[in-house]
Amino acid sequence: MSKRKMFLRMITASLLRRRSRMLIALLSIAIGATILSGLVTIYYDVPRQMGAQFRSYGANMILLAKEGESLTTDTLQDALSVIPEDQLVGATPYRYVRLDMTSRQQSFTTAGTDFAEVQKTSPYFSVEGEYPQAAEEILLGKEIADTIGAKVGSYIQLTWRPVVTVHENASDDWVPNAKLSGSAEGFNAGIVVVEATLDDEGKIATLEIDASSQTPEIGGQVETDRNFISRFIGQSLPVSLGEDVDAVSGATISSQAVVDALNNARSTAKGSAAAERSGYFNVTGILVTGGEEESYIYMNLKDLEGLTNDNLLDVAELSVSANAEQLEEYAKAIDGSDAGITARLVKRVTRSETAVLGKLQALVFLVTVVVLLLTMICVSTTMMAVVSERRREIGLRKALGAPDSSIRAEFLGEGMFLGGLGGLLGGLLGFVFAQVVSVNVFGSSITFQPLLLPITLLVSMLIAAVSCLLPIKRAVAIDPALVLKGE
Amino acid sequence: MILSAEQISKRYFRKSGEANHFYAVKPLSLTLRPGTVTVLCGRSGSGKTTLLHMLSGLLTPTEGRVLLGETDLYRLSDKELSKLRNASIGVVPQARSVLDTLTVRENILLPSALYGTEDRSEEAARWMETLRIEGLADSRAAELSGGELRRTAIARTLCMCPPVILADEPTGDLDDENTQLVFGCFRKAAEEGAAVLIVSHESDALNIADAALRMDGGQLSALS
Repeated sequence: MSKRKMFLRMITASLLRRRSRMLIALLSIAIGATILSGLVTIYYDVPRQMGAQFRSYGANMILLAKEGESLTTDTLQDALSVIPEDQLVGATPYRYVRLDMTSRQQSFTTAGTDFAEVQKTSPYFSVEGEYPQAAEEILLGKEIADTIGAKVGSYIQLTWRPVVTVHENASDDWVPNAKLSGSAEGFNAGIVVVEATLDDEGKIATLEIDASSQTPEIGGQVETDRNFISRFIGQSLPVSLGEDVDAVSGATISSQAVVDALNNARSTAKGSAAAERSGYFNVTGILVTGGEEESYIYMNLKDLEGLTNDNLLDVAELSVSANAEQLEEYAKAIDGSDAGITARLVKRVTRSETAVLGKLQALVFLVTVVVLLLTMICVSTTMMAVVSERRREIGLRKALGAPDSSIRAEFLGEGMFLGGLGGLLGGLLGFVFAQVVSVNVFGSSITFQPLLLPITLLVSMLIAAVSCLLPIKRAVAIDPALVLKGE
Repeated sequence: MILSAEQISKRYFRKSGEANHFYAVKPLSLTLRPGTVTVLCGRSGSGKTTLLHMLSGLLTPTEGRVLLGETDLYRLSDKELSKLRNASIGVVPQARSVLDTLTVRENILLPSALYGTEDRSEEAARWMETLRIEGLADSRAAELSGGELRRTAIARTLCMCPPVILADEPTGDLDDENTQLVFGCFRKAAEEGAAVLIVSHESDALNIADAALRMDGGQLSALS
């Protein structure tokens, strides 16, 4: 009988004879390996899984036109081609303009957008009623709906009044007691709206300014600055900044917009402006967000383009399922492309995503280490019991001339065999485990990582081998003389 | 090959009377020559088994040395000593010493399989026949009687044809007929050149002995 044959014979005999013990050791290794391979699978899959979950936090990238360039639906498509399709959750275009509500003689900021994309990039939007499906349907912010008393199903007439320039040939004297309203472009393409009444002599009697599109602490001051507003009272149209009135300190552009809007109002009322366009819109839902979105009207971009007759966009909000580094890369690529678009990351969102992922992965790592430690303790205890049981046999073999190295090799062989078998079982079960966790927790399936099986196998064998170190030490220390005496 | 012990003793730490140690084996010298059978008798606890273990390389003496030919056993490494014992010193232990998981044949071939040296199947078959256990070759050791186990252990030792054989009460659980048979085997081994030491209480052992020794309180003396 050859040495190897005898070696195998003794290992299998020992395993078979102590099958219940070996089953326990095998089970603990298999469970350890299951947790190992399962959690490692999840560990690597979590960013992908959670990435999709995180998208419910809203957009994590904003696209704007570069200075001197314009953002249109066409240039937006160019920029989006940088991001792989499977990572782009949604891309919502926004165009903001002021539209007049004819019935109320009031104007509201209206956003033209794509409602299908809105639901992807702003999944937290809550709509009472329904999102618009067809043309000429709109969503009203709750604040506006409350102000004008509109409900789902109401019809609203909205009018687009183009921003016009002052006509050079406009008359200097003006109609007494007229009511005027007009708008002009202020800071960052925001529209400033004014409403004025004239006195008997055609001079400005009252003036109301809506500068909510301007930066609140700067341009927004033109709305409330009494000194600024009072300077207009008693002036004849047109007025000019610097001569008739002084600009609000630090808000020259917004101040100029007020002046322009007043002068526009005069021109428009004279019928010299570009034709205004209006339409009736059906309110299909009221938007409740708790934020500034409640003071906007939302309509289909196509409808808005029909009113304004252009395809400009102010901003696009993107929801991209990618980690912080990838996002940075995409942003750089978009900035570098010749679409004339610059990309900004919504740091608040990306940073919290990274932090949550880091914590989750640390937790998974910790659990894996603890489970592996427990596995080692269990295997070690079992092997210790096996050594005690086989004390006599080991002593006898040593007495017959087996060197310590062969005892070591045998126990290591047994341990590695258990580790290998347990690792194989655990590697396969781990995939099932990860799949179950993934489907139940994240609601999507996991792809099998073939490389994980040999790694689990190796780690299991290593752990089994380390677990055997103490039992082997015990086995080698057995004194054959004592055993042979029958003690 | 000559196995000789030079002034070996074994001392254990144990309270006994005034002293806090006692000698299980007091310093003694002993030579086992090829072709001779030496019988060692004595009462239980007299140190026979301790002496046998020291001679077999399993128990390091407190003092003195054990030489096999020119080789000092206790100066060898574990690996060298293990190999030497496997090939040159056959021990028949006093206690039950057969592995239950293996068959009789496998048990007998176990020492040769440990190093995978030459194939000893023929010797195994020969000794099984001589010791009348050839019918049990493929039985598991767990199914054997005490006498059969004992003969299996003896066959395992003889199968290796070691130059030194040390047997510790090898006929303890054998009937008269088998006792005769076993002593015959040891005699034959001696005639083939082995140095044989048998620890035994049997008077039959003295019939095949070339020399007889007695242990008493750790002290060795010649049996008159």
